[in-house]
Amino acid sequence: MKRREFLKSAVVSGGASLTVPAFLRRAYAQNAIKIGMPTVLSGGNAQYGIQAKRAAELFAKDVKARGGVLGRPVEFLYEDTASDPATAVRKAQKLVEKDGVKLLTGVVLSSEALAISAKCPEWKVLFMSTINGAGALTAKSFNRNFFRINTSGPMGARAVSLYLAEAPMKRFFALGSDYAWGRDSVGSFSKQIAAVKKHVVGKEFPPVGTKDFASYIAKIKQSKAEGCFLVLPGQDATIFLKQAHQFGLTREVKPIMEILELENMKAVGDAMAGTIGSSRYPFTVDTPRNRDFVTRFHALHNVYPDMFDGETYEGLEWLTQVIRKAGTADDIEKITEAWEDSTYEGLEGTFTMRKCDHQAVQPGFVVEAVKDPKYPHLIPKILATYPGDRVTPKCRTEEFA
Amino acid sequence: MSFLVEQLLNALALAGLLFLVSAGLSLVFGILRVVNFAHGVFYMLGAYLGFTAMAVSGQFWLSLLVVPPVVGVIGGLLERSTLRFIYRRPPIYQLLLTFGLALILEETVRVLYGPTAKPVDAPALLQGAVPILDTLYPRYRLFLVVAVGVGVRLFLARTRAGLVIRAVAQNSEMADCLGANVPRVRTLVFGAACALAGLGGVASAPMTTAYLGMGIGVIVDAFVVVVIGGLGSIGGSMAGSLIVGAAQTWGAFYLPETAMVIMYAVMGAILIFRPWGLFGEEE
Repeated sequence: MKRREFLKSAVVSGGASLTVPAFLRRAYAQNAIKIGMPTVLSGGNAQYGIQAKRAAELFAKDVKARGGVLGRPVEFLYEDTASDPATAVRKAQKLVEKDGVKLLTGVVLSSEALAISAKCPEWKVLFMSTINGAGALTAKSFNRNFFRINTSGPMGARAVSLYLAEAPMKRFFALGSDYAWGRDSVGSFSKQIAAVKKHVVGKEFPPVGTKDFASYIAKIKQSKAEGCFLVLPGQDATIFLKQAHQFGLTREVKPIMEILELENMKAVGDAMAGTIGSSRYPFTVDTPRNRDFVTRFHALHNVYPDMFDGETYEGLEWLTQVIRKAGTADDIEKITEAWEDSTYEGLEGTFTMRKCDHQAVQPGFVVEAVKDPKYPHLIPKILATYPGDRVTPKCRTEEFA
Repeated sequence: MSFLVEQLLNALALAGLLFLVSAGLSLVFGILRVVNFAHGVFYMLGAYLGFTAMAVSGQFWLSLLVVPPVVGVIGGLLERSTLRFIYRRPPIYQLLLTFGLALILEETVRVLYGPTAKPVDAPALLQGAVPILDTLYPRYRLFLVVAVGVGVRLFLARTRAGLVIRAVAQNSEMADCLGANVPRVRTLVFGAACALAGLGGVASAPMTTAYLGMGIGVIVDAFVVVVIGGLGSIGGSMAGSLIVGAAQTWGAFYLPETAMVIMYAVMGAILIFRPWGLFGEEE
């Protein structure tokens, strides 16, 4: 045997013995239900992509233990979109055309979601949002291939408004990041606050990535507001809260966040105690299902689940429930029909998929960041829970009844 | 009145941080003729290493002292192992290299520290706010204004090292002529610039936390500062930092919709009427 032949055969046998035989591997891969995740895995928004990935990992473990879905294993394919809508579409297209994916999820930014959703009818795939907040996705830009499991931005603003309608505060300042999410939410908040005869005494829209909020803090102080409604993405919110505390603002003005995330609580620390806001999924919900989920999640990842960990896990669970009901993971039309008007027992309560705009109706939460010696960081304490029909907008709109 | 003082202090605190970053950027360009895209990442590195130093020692002042030299050494090593080999190539190579380094370092930090921002507390002495006239002002910001405004000025004006930095920044050919070991000087200058950025990072962390992307954010402002002040001029960086700090602070208050535009408008005007910057030398 020549040296080269020997090497070749050694490599081949070595490779084969490490894994299952090649023909079996191929059969397994063809058989697997593939779920594509064009998500953000690098840069500042990676924290959200990582949440989606963490949830998928726990879910994959559960499915494996139960012997798959329709007897088939579930396989997740991740792509990094780097927070860019054009890249997101390209990566999603790659997943669809090259990898044969029929189900997409894990998209992080609403701008990416709007771009991908628009392509789904043409690609003949389903897109399940578990993170994206923009109201337009289930209103102006709705298409039948899109399903939203998570609470949307307008729903979060609605829950906060319902809470504030009964709170003693009367004067509010609104601070929203200068892009679609910030401006939409501040607009929606202003309308609802005016409807209950309270006042928005000032509004500002700092650019995304602002690192010094001193001028805005001065303005909020001058406005003599009692509460400040904040619609700032993760890092901006962290910086604002930190600086507001340093300026002593939070002693006079209550911070009210459209979404109150664990990420912020970890990064800001105790200075954030007392901040209130809506939560799409507070891990402190006291239901048997959720207690079990939190324990298992913590055992696997050694952290407590944040909002999108919970929402993504629920989405994946619901999706497989629908696939079982439809009896197929490939026929998009059958899955869509099985999903519409179906219900699902989620971690924090019952979800219903509205047929008219594919928005999942679910309870809305208002929480407060509080200290609890049992946890290494602040945790969301639930102040109020609103039934789904009160926090969900009218069909295919961002308006509330 | 108190409001004017408050806004003035805000502008000065921001300018102080910008100066620490842009001075190094300017220095590297003045001497190495390299536009260093990775400069902001060293600022971020300073903030994260400051977090680690705080977590280990619990001493803010110690981390302020230890982290900048560490960042400087990392910068120097990177210059020695990568940039040194391509100084003779066209500038685009250096641009691409530093851009690549920025991406690699940023992702390394993400892998090591995870995606969550890291909180850094100001030392006990500088926590909370002090009354100034009839408003409250954070002690830590006052510290920044004083430390950077006075400290750095004294360092540059009164110490020998400061003198050398200013001299070399103004005329690098002269440094060459004086028979300095050019490759070594380059490494030292690059390292010193990174250390300055690192210092800015440690100092900013109690104000902004240490987070991914902070380098990218600051580098854009630093470029504007350097264009306004003049590449290679330390005095220019100082003037540019004050202008950008003031434009951002006052702009955000009085003309919030156009705060960013003001900064770039100043830069545009400088590029048109005085392309070498306020304090730069016409080439």
